[in-house]
Amino acid sequence: MADFVMEARNVYKTYSIKKIKKGDAACNVPVKHQVEAVKNVSLQIRKGDIKLIFGPSGSGKSTFLRCMAMLDIPDKGEIYLGDECLTAPGADLNKARARIGFVFQHIYLFRHLTALGNVELALRQVLKLPKEEARKRALDALNEVKVSDCINKYPAQMSGGQAQRVGIARAIARNPDIILLDEPTSALDPELTGEVIDTLRDLAKEGTTMLIVSHEMPFAREVAEEMIFYDEGKVVETGPPSLFFNAPNTDRAKQFMTRIINRTTRE
Amino acid sequence: MDVWQQFIILLEGVPLTLSISIFSFLIGIVVGLPLAFIRVYEKEISFVVDAYEKIFRGVPEIVLLLLFFFGLRPFFPFPFGNAFFVACFVLGLRSAANQSQIYRGAIRGVGDEQMIAGMSVGFSKWRAIWYIMIPQVFNFSTSGLGSEYALLIKDSAYVYVIGLAEVMTRSLQLAKSGPGDYVTPFVLGAAIYIALTFPFAFWLDKWGNKRKKKIGL
Repeated sequence: MADFVMEARNVYKTYSIKKIKKGDAACNVPVKHQVEAVKNVSLQIRKGDIKLIFGPSGSGKSTFLRCMAMLDIPDKGEIYLGDECLTAPGADLNKARARIGFVFQHIYLFRHLTALGNVELALRQVLKLPKEEARKRALDALNEVKVSDCINKYPAQMSGGQAQRVGIARAIARNPDIILLDEPTSALDPELTGEVIDTLRDLAKEGTTMLIVSHEMPFAREVAEEMIFYDEGKVVETGPPSLFFNAPNTDRAKQFMTRIINRTTRE
Repeated sequence: MDVWQQFIILLEGVPLTLSISIFSFLIGIVVGLPLAFIRVYEKEISFVVDAYEKIFRGVPEIVLLLLFFFGLRPFFPFPFGNAFFVACFVLGLRSAANQSQIYRGAIRGVGDEQMIAGMSVGFSKWRAIWYIMIPQVFNFSTSGLGSEYALLIKDSAYVYVIGLAEVMTRSLQLAKSGPGDYVTPFVLGAAIYIALTFPFAFWLDKWGNKRKKKIGL
């Protein structure tokens, strides 16, 4: 029995993007540009843990989270899901991903399916549940995130908040070992953010294991056991919310927290 | 022979023209979709698809029809001895090369995010393609498929070279047998081809717009 639900050991990930460099006259030259998004990051999550990663945008938080779900394959290092090493050659990644719930910043619901269809699809086709049971579990999940009024709506017909809660339902319906949430509220306006945060708070109360990338500080303070300050591809500082809200040890974290808290109070 | 009689003779060729076009269209879908996904998601073997597309798009259908029918019949009387089979086979594979390009654009339209979302719930690459990408690909390819269908109806005229009695073959026979009237049979044939192409393309476009509205595009 492994101690951790999920663990990342010394993970590295570099990706290259093509930047268009404005050349002379009308010729724009694409230049390859290397981004070191994850540099030697390790992280352990126990059952029932709620950990929150925050830091400036473009620092590689999302890339790290995608590496955890093996949606991006790390260049170096290991990812463990329970006892299973996902980075080992021959690991069954599809099976592993079925045990990990993933919630996207830009939601990414399946556009051709209704809310119910979105949640049901993986239950039927990945977990191979019989029709009745899949339907029941999908309805339960949708109920839990309080969107039972739009089960027959298509993503295009929902508000952003409803769509993101369906996204959460899609992630939790499979009873995953852990849920990874990549800035679940940052694409929503403040009013809709509240709905989604309420849903996450409910999940937290039930003891759901979660790793969340977010800048929702009041929420973090309330539910997170541990906050992880992430900058330039590295974990800069780790600690309980009280540490960050009172006196972070590193200057960089201090700076960032001041800025974030000022912003929140100004609103 | 009056115009009406000629028209009836040509109309009797319509089922054959239609069935060649429809079968070819279906073969085009079944072969073209995997080709498109291979080109987008299996980069290591996409050169094979590239070569296939170049051959079938680069060689005139009429050459392919003659090659497969008269060239292969002596060696493989089954199935290449059957002119209908050869017609659907050649036009279908040519259409697959065209459709593959249509679907490639459509796959970009659907977006990589849908694929990633599919994999995030536990689907393998090809199962995500089946359950998530393919149902959406058609929404993005209706106008392209409409013109591809029109193209197939028209290209089915080439099969007169292997002796199938469809609309074109019948026009040609009427023209040759008549007292030097080359205008009537071909004008009638042209009218039939127009009537066959546009309603379907029109309907497909409408269907596509309706679908797009539904999924919010």
